Amino acid sequence: MTLIDERPTTETRAISTRTRVSRWWTAPMSTNGPTFRADRLKIGLFLVPMLVVFVVLFLVPLVQSIWWSFTDFNGYSTDAAFVGLRNYENVFTDPSMLAGLGFTLFFTLATTVLITALAIPLAVTLDRAFIGRNFVRAIYFFPAIPSVAILGLVWGFILNPLGSGALNSLLQSVVGIGPVPWLSNSTLAQLSVIAVGVWTSTGWHAILYLAYLQSIPDDYYEVARIDGASAVQRFRYITLPLLMPAMTVSWLLLMTGGLKVYDLPITLTRGGPGFSTFTITQTIIQNGVSQAKYGQASALAVIFMLAVGAIVAAQLIVSRRLEGRLS
Amino acid sequence: MSAARILTRPGAIATSLIMIPLAAVVGLPFYYVVVNTFKTQAETTMAPLALPTTLNLDNYLTVFSEIPVVQSFLNTVYVTAAAILLMLLIGSMAAFSVILRASRLVTVLLVIAFLVPGQVTLIPLYRMLSQAQLVDTLEGLIILYSGGSVFCYFLIVGYMRTLPGEVIEAARIDGAGPWQIYWRIALPLIRPILITVGVFQTMWVWNDFLTPVVFISSTEKQTLVLQTYKAVGEFTTDWPMFLTLSVVVLIPMVVFFIFMQRYIVRGLVAGSVKG
Repeated sequence: MTLIDERPTTETRAISTRTRVSRWWTAPMSTNGPTFRADRLKIGLFLVPMLVVFVVLFLVPLVQSIWWSFTDFNGYSTDAAFVGLRNYENVFTDPSMLAGLGFTLFFTLATTVLITALAIPLAVTLDRAFIGRNFVRAIYFFPAIPSVAILGLVWGFILNPLGSGALNSLLQSVVGIGPVPWLSNSTLAQLSVIAVGVWTSTGWHAILYLAYLQSIPDDYYEVARIDGASAVQRFRYITLPLLMPAMTVSWLLLMTGGLKVYDLPITLTRGGPGFSTFTITQTIIQNGVSQAKYGQASALAVIFMLAVGAIVAAQLIVSRRLEGRLS
Repeated sequence: MSAARILTRPGAIATSLIMIPLAAVVGLPFYYVVVNTFKTQAETTMAPLALPTTLNLDNYLTVFSEIPVVQSFLNTVYVTAAAILLMLLIGSMAAFSVILRASRLVTVLLVIAFLVPGQVTLIPLYRMLSQAQLVDTLEGLIILYSGGSVFCYFLIVGYMRTLPGEVIEAARIDGAGPWQIYWRIALPLIRPILITVGVFQTMWVWNDFLTPVVFISSTEKQTLVLQTYKAVGEFTTDWPMFLTLSVVVLIPMVVFFIFMQRYIVRGLVAGSVKG
């Protein structure tokens, strides 16, 4: 197998192994006696660094975020006043907050649908034998290797709205149409960000699906063929149900990644034109870090966390339902 | 059927005829970036997709003389190496402990930590680091990245469960203490997963943009990705210069990936055989 098959497999390992029960390692330590008790304490000490990380980097900041979201804390005043749900009301009434919310949801939905629709057929094709397959796999996967921020910057040059932009000058010479305002028109800018997002991740998700496709035994198809199942039926009744676990993983990554998106819009359009490609993360950073509106930014962050949690939970339930229905 | 006959069937040839041009379109941006690093600005404007007429290395020389790329490269290497070592150590120690003591609470806590988006803890962490005078320092970045040890923990603990426990038992009978067992037996045994996790986390830390852009402000402390972002302002009119900078910045990651892929494969094969 080539280089590109391992990454997703690890991802899935992480999920599948979590449920496995420890059998071997617990046994040797379950002897009694004084040595055992001393060892047990020492073994407990191995957890200390992780607990420090948990408390300092996760627990304390999380509690602070939640507390600040109910106050008008600005980072300097020592006495932050409790303001109840006012910050939360602002999130849903302030147009600059809503702009980020809207585009982030649009981006998440569009990239999830488009990447899934492109990656599954791509994976099925890449699973077949054809000349140049390894080369083609490598090309599709390649955009997943460099930093998305740098890819965003490069695409900013390619999609430059001036006539001298790479894509515009190509269109001019091949099709003969005038400069297209890729990044300077609100709708086109949103679509451009989505298109580049699809470009960076489709290959990666195709390889994820490919890893699952390769684990489907050939016998299944053989038997189905003998029973007279058509290619469409084989895809519908064998491939698709067995790809459901891959879809769960892929959608989870796409949705959480989409909601957290920041690098790509900021490097490609800097959130513009206007607020058209503003994201939730950008709003949180701008309010919290640049303007020190801790309370306001925290309220948005808490809503964001709840939204991510709700979507992840809903998605897991839907996938499980689908898995049940398809198989 | 022989491999050659499968590959020359009409269906396979049709697949090649569709997939290779499609891949070329997908790869076109990279071609565009690389060819333009050898051109002057006038050439780029005239014919952005043409091959360069001469092998002109001026852009590379200018990038290295005008931008402290080497400094940022060393910064990035320092932060990445320190962060990865730290998170592998913390993650594997916790996994070792949980495997031997089976603590449910720890697992629950770490699942929560794993699910909390970084955006939620960002602002309190910014304030915390600024009070500790760690904003705009590379060490501050390393501390923030050590949160990645939670992800390491989950992968390592999954791998450890697939290993045979008899080795530990034998070591205990021979009188080895927990620290010795961890250092001399557990760590060597889990080497494949340490390398795999290390590779993934390296790609994350090296490519990360969000953390440096929020926490780093001085030029001499920039990471490569942040530097490229800041340089765009300088090079808005000089495209070949910017594209050259991005190639210089992308090379280490590509080289890293090419060298590390076999370790990833080895790690996974070892893991799945035992699992």
